[in-house]
Amino acid sequence: MKKRPPDTVIGYYGFPRRKVLREAREEFGHSFPLVDLDVDRGAGDSGVLPATTCRIISNIVDNAVHLGSALSAIVAAVGEDKCDRGRHAAFLLRNLGFTVIESRFPEDEFENRPLVFSRSRMPLRDKINRIMATIVDPAPQSPFPQTCEPTHGFWGVPPHDFRILDLFPSTTHVYGWVRCVEAGRPGDVALECRLDEGVPTVFFTQSFCAKQDLAHYLAEKHRGLAVDCHREINDSILAKVEAFLKLS
Amino acid sequence: MRIADCGSTWTKILDPGSGAIEIITTKELVRRPDERFEVATGHCGRGRCTTYRNELIALTEGGLALVDEGDFSLVDVGGRDIKFVRLKGRKVEKLDWNLACGSTTGATLELLGNYYDIDFSTLPPSDRWVNVTCGVFGMERVLEQISLGTSPEESVAMFLHGLVRNVIVFIGRPGHFYLSGGFCENRCFMRTAERYCRVTPLGRTVLLEGLRKALK
Repeated sequence: MKKRPPDTVIGYYGFPRRKVLREAREEFGHSFPLVDLDVDRGAGDSGVLPATTCRIISNIVDNAVHLGSALSAIVAAVGEDKCDRGRHAAFLLRNLGFTVIESRFPEDEFENRPLVFSRSRMPLRDKINRIMATIVDPAPQSPFPQTCEPTHGFWGVPPHDFRILDLFPSTTHVYGWVRCVEAGRPGDVALECRLDEGVPTVFFTQSFCAKQDLAHYLAEKHRGLAVDCHREINDSILAKVEAFLKLS
Repeated sequence: MRIADCGSTWTKILDPGSGAIEIITTKELVRRPDERFEVATGHCGRGRCTTYRNELIALTEGGLALVDEGDFSLVDVGGRDIKFVRLKGRKVEKLDWNLACGSTTGATLELLGNYYDIDFSTLPPSDRWVNVTCGVFGMERVLEQISLGTSPEESVAMFLHGLVRNVIVFIGRPGHFYLSGGFCENRCFMRTAERYCRVTPLGRTVLLEGLRKALK
């Protein structure tokens, strides 16, 4: 194995196959932390992508460019479990000189993991962080939180700006792609669209994300609230969600 | 003691004791840094009041104060955004707030009207419309129409028609809705909207009515 500086990390985005992540760690070094590139890490605008790009995809590219040579490899989800733009990001990053390992999560690797956090009583921000952490470490740390009946729902992907999550009560259940992650089924559209009837649900997407199509449809069907946001949350979006949670 | 709906372009102020209403431009409010209110709503009201109320909540409570029906749709078309609430059995069935896309269309129409000296009380509605994706894209369509030879009046009426279509689609194409906000006083808007469904104007003080509840 090639000797690398101590600040080296392995990047990933989306929900790569567990086998591909494991092999990447074996190849590039078990001691190097895995870094989720989807998340806002304060990287500046790399200028690689147009302004009308989903903020999560921009985060991936901006984070990678910011990390530069500290990034030994990028494990990139490029299948139906992510999106076309995730696939394009992998292409661009490879052309920028990064080592990119592509992952397509196949149906026959879908798991049926218990929904420990999606249905739990705990702050929504913590709930989503704990679920996303299962991509790297699928064994949830005990003690497990209490389950609860849902008073509200949050559907979607982890937002770029987590402040929106703080509006929701701890009895909010998680649906959509985040629930698919917890179940170990990232490309399962049927699960992604499964909801509990009668639960007032906010359907969240980043602006310019293809999941807006689903969010719009599901919000109409279930009389929920579709919310999309580019970059940071603003007061209007917070007020809209606040009103929905209060009046529904 | 006064209460206020401090919108992005216009501020409506009510003295609940006397019932006197003052309507000023928000640029005027911004020049009054010491202006304070007991209760306020709107983008520019935060930080100027003892109690702040969410705009959609103020709209809903204002609608319930002004409308006796059990089931109705109410939309506030403002300078910066569109707020909508549908009630069934006087309970909220659906609400929405059109923010980023479709935003500032109201303010853009006002700017266009001022620029081209349009009198909306006499402006005839247009059968045609331009696609008003947002204020900026809509203005570009108006400028394009004018460069193609359409009169400024007709081009602005087409923008207005595009805005009306956005509102109708946004609120789910009801047979009837109540309208809140400055467009209640825009005759061309009302006549254009009535091509699609019945519209009952409630005026510019619906949110103020909603704020009264916070005083009780």
